[in-house]
Amino acid sequence: MTVDFRRRGILSRRSVLGLLGAAPATAALSAAFPGAFRAEAAGSGQLNVYSWPDYFSTGNLEAYAKKSGVTPNITTYDSNETLFAKLNSPAGAGFDIVIPSSSWIKQLADKGLLEEIDHSKLNLASLDQDLLNRDYDPGNKYSIPKDWGLLGVVYDPEAVGGEIETWEDFFKAGEKPGVSGKVRLSDTGWETIGPELWLQGKDWNTATPDEIKAAGERLKAFAKHVKSFSGLDPNQVANGSIVLAQTNNGTARAAIGLNPKLKWVVPGPFSELWVDNYAIVKNAPNLDQAYDFLAYQLQPEVQLEETQYIGFPAALAGLKEKLPADTKNVDIIFGGKDLDFKKLTSFVVNPETVGTYLQVQAEIQAAAGG
Amino acid sequence: MPAVETIGPRPSGGLSAGGVAPRAADHFIAAVPTLWLAIFFLTPLGFTVVFSFGRSTFGGVELGFTLDNYATALSGFYGVTFVRTVIFAASASALCLAAAYPVAYFIARHTARRRTLAALLILIPYFSSFLIRVMALHMLMSRGGASEIVLNALHLHAGPLDILDTQTAVFIGMVYAYLPIAIVPLFVVLDRIPRPLIEASRDLGASRFKTFLFVTLPLSRPGIATAVLLTAVPMLGEMVIPKLLGGSRGVLMGQAIASQYLQSQNYPLGSAMAVLVLLAVAVIVLALARLTKGFDEVVA
Amino acid sequence: MSAEGARICDWRSRIPDAALLIWYGIAVFFLFAPIVAAIVYSFNTGVVNKQTATWTGWTLHWYPAAWYDLSLRRSVEQSFVVAFWTALVSVVVGAALGYAMVRHPAVAIRRLLAGLTYILLIVPESVIGVSLLLFYAVTRIPLSTATLVAGITPLTIAVVALIMRARVLTLDRRIEEAAADLGSSRLTTIRLIILPQVAPALLAGAVMAYTFAFDNLVVSAFLTTPQVNTLPVYLYGSLQYGPSPAVYAAASAVFVFTLVMLGIAGLIYRSSRRPPAADA
Repeated sequence: MTVDFRRRGILSRRSVLGLLGAAPATAALSAAFPGAFRAEAAGSGQLNVYSWPDYFSTGNLEAYAKKSGVTPNITTYDSNETLFAKLNSPAGAGFDIVIPSSSWIKQLADKGLLEEIDHSKLNLASLDQDLLNRDYDPGNKYSIPKDWGLLGVVYDPEAVGGEIETWEDFFKAGEKPGVSGKVRLSDTGWETIGPELWLQGKDWNTATPDEIKAAGERLKAFAKHVKSFSGLDPNQVANGSIVLAQTNNGTARAAIGLNPKLKWVVPGPFSELWVDNYAIVKNAPNLDQAYDFLAYQLQPEVQLEETQYIGFPAALAGLKEKLPADTKNVDIIFGGKDLDFKKLTSFVVNPETVGTYLQVQAEIQAAAGG
Repeated sequence: MPAVETIGPRPSGGLSAGGVAPRAADHFIAAVPTLWLAIFFLTPLGFTVVFSFGRSTFGGVELGFTLDNYATALSGFYGVTFVRTVIFAASASALCLAAAYPVAYFIARHTARRRTLAALLILIPYFSSFLIRVMALHMLMSRGGASEIVLNALHLHAGPLDILDTQTAVFIGMVYAYLPIAIVPLFVVLDRIPRPLIEASRDLGASRFKTFLFVTLPLSRPGIATAVLLTAVPMLGEMVIPKLLGGSRGVLMGQAIASQYLQSQNYPLGSAMAVLVLLAVAVIVLALARLTKGFDEVVA
Repeated sequence: MSAEGARICDWRSRIPDAALLIWYGIAVFFLFAPIVAAIVYSFNTGVVNKQTATWTGWTLHWYPAAWYDLSLRRSVEQSFVVAFWTALVSVVVGAALGYAMVRHPAVAIRRLLAGLTYILLIVPESVIGVSLLLFYAVTRIPLSTATLVAGITPLTIAVVALIMRARVLTLDRRIEEAAADLGSSRLTTIRLIILPQVAPALLAGAVMAYTFAFDNLVVSAFLTTPQVNTLPVYLYGSLQYGPSPAVYAAASAVFVFTLVMLGIAGLIYRSSRRPPAADA
């Protein structure tokens, strides 16, 4: 193998090649978006929001940017747990607004991660009173409802052979031939064990670890009928590879949109109401901007637009009447006809029991076999 | 191409006939990566080990010394989970290698230009987002999706396709994700097997099959070992594919450790589990290295 | 293979060749199918803004939708930046590691470096992610692009180091020794003899590091911040409520762009390797 000693400049050639892929890309991008890579000074026309993906209508964001001159910088997470872990670490510094679910508000507040909300700066009169002052945050000290959803069941009545009205019906249906092996359960411990606790007359927020484990036994026996615990794809319910699914109303609505024969129900005796909330992070660098954004988001027209974009109902009172008449399956957006808010309970994460829920869920998923 | 007797450098890298003692430049070159990794890898890992002996305060750690976390991590459920994960990774890795070997062999047999094209075709899909490809795989394998249509048309399958959310789908996904990673080391080693050896074997009367079995395969052993290392070990921590394609049934180590950190906020337990997994994997890797006499070395 | 043998077993000997070709073809098809499907489905209408497995209609509007989705677009930009810097650092550090693993005169140090490299490969990503997060918490270093890059580098450095090591092992040592005998210092030897030979391998390593960093999910999920969010983290989050075809559009656009860049780089590299006859 010969080596040409006269080949100078190989370094510059190599570095040019190495940079070739990225430098033009970076240069082109910075030219196209001036300021995209500049470190922006905090507190001067900025707003950092940490949220679920795709959770703000692009139309609303643009309108807000025009009105206030500030474009909210939205970063995303995939679970409440990630949100908690982030805020509880240096990675959480710099966020102004976060969108935690009702289950985690208390933990975030207890750890001192949230600012108390100054109610004099915001007008909550337009919101549905049923959604305010709930167990998970009495007096709405730390949170303002953004939108809400329910835990329920979407199913194919033909395959299941009847209607489902309680969680007992759900479990019984899952064992039937033709349904067994085509069931979907949640991957969150309290959502799977909760139903059994409710059937036993217990409260999922006050159950002891032993009670949780005992209730889990039924789920472990049921697990062999379960096909999936992963995020539900509406296509799977629509095309029949899953005929009985525990899921939220948004996914159910998408499935029914694809296959109108499916039905949605919020089973008794209880089920879950979860509320996704605006919350302000402690020591938020852009506090005033945060309140300005929240005031904007709370306007009725904005909430209406959000509902249509994300498919879950915003907390606005009287929202149903305000939606366009041709909105498909509008009832399901609100959890079905005649939803009784008194039969709904929100979960609050409790450090004493969350480990047990997790452990039992892991055992349930293991019992489902692989 | 060097002659057959001197394949590559002499195996021992020690003081050669040139008689070189370590010089400043050598130490500098070795120091740069060591320093970088000491700061950004070893120190954080050290923290993890320290935390594994602490007590959990739901999102925090109270430093101390307790073996409780290790006791829990070694307990029935997690012990079984670990064994199950090892079996899973070993099978997925074996499947991946079985699929990869013929491809690597095919590429290695061609001459330079065709070979570049052949290798490129294998590597191009790798440059797109992994998650999107897995999501697309999910779409393709679902009922009413493209796979069902094609398989029905070819009369290889009748009726709706129900492989999604099964172990089969997970294995398909694993092979899909790790195939290029397995092909590369296999190709590198197969490529370095000198043609004259193969020809000599054929001239002595061995059939193609026998030549493959007794010459090629043994010589490619280091490549196989490297391929196993680069596939089976990451597979032990795989979380995404079993969740997206397998319906999250069964629990694997990757998920178990991550959920200790993220959901239970139990850093000490998660750390203890991680340390145990590390130790176990280190043992397995050392055993593998022993068995195949090092990775990626062509035995002269 | 003797000429006689070739004539007699002509068609028989072709079977393994044909089988290999078919297997290769199946593998290529298998590897391409999902990315082709993703590109095709980026034009799917979907239902209530979500992607569907069955085709519901043809539309181009997801591409502008992806463009105007600021957080999606920003995450793509961040991914480019992070991947670029990670590749750069990995090549420098990884090359040093790979070289030292083979050429350092002391056996003990070589063993140590090899051990270090293998540890890099066997630590699960979630452990690296959490360790780093805790590390930055304790040392109070603020998070940024730099810390994310630093977090991904352990894995990419290992890849580059292994590639470098494999390549250095096949170098002819005698040339280096000759240079040393002629009075060349270590650094000069590296610059003039080693580097030109390992350049292609380093390039391959850079590309692998870039790809790995761009696609990195687990470590990134732990270390992303308000300023720094990457595409895989965004994608993974979108799975919770169902992804819209816009993310497929974004991913397809990035894929095509990456291929074009690689193609250009490859062409330039090839033309630079062909020296004019007078130079040789």
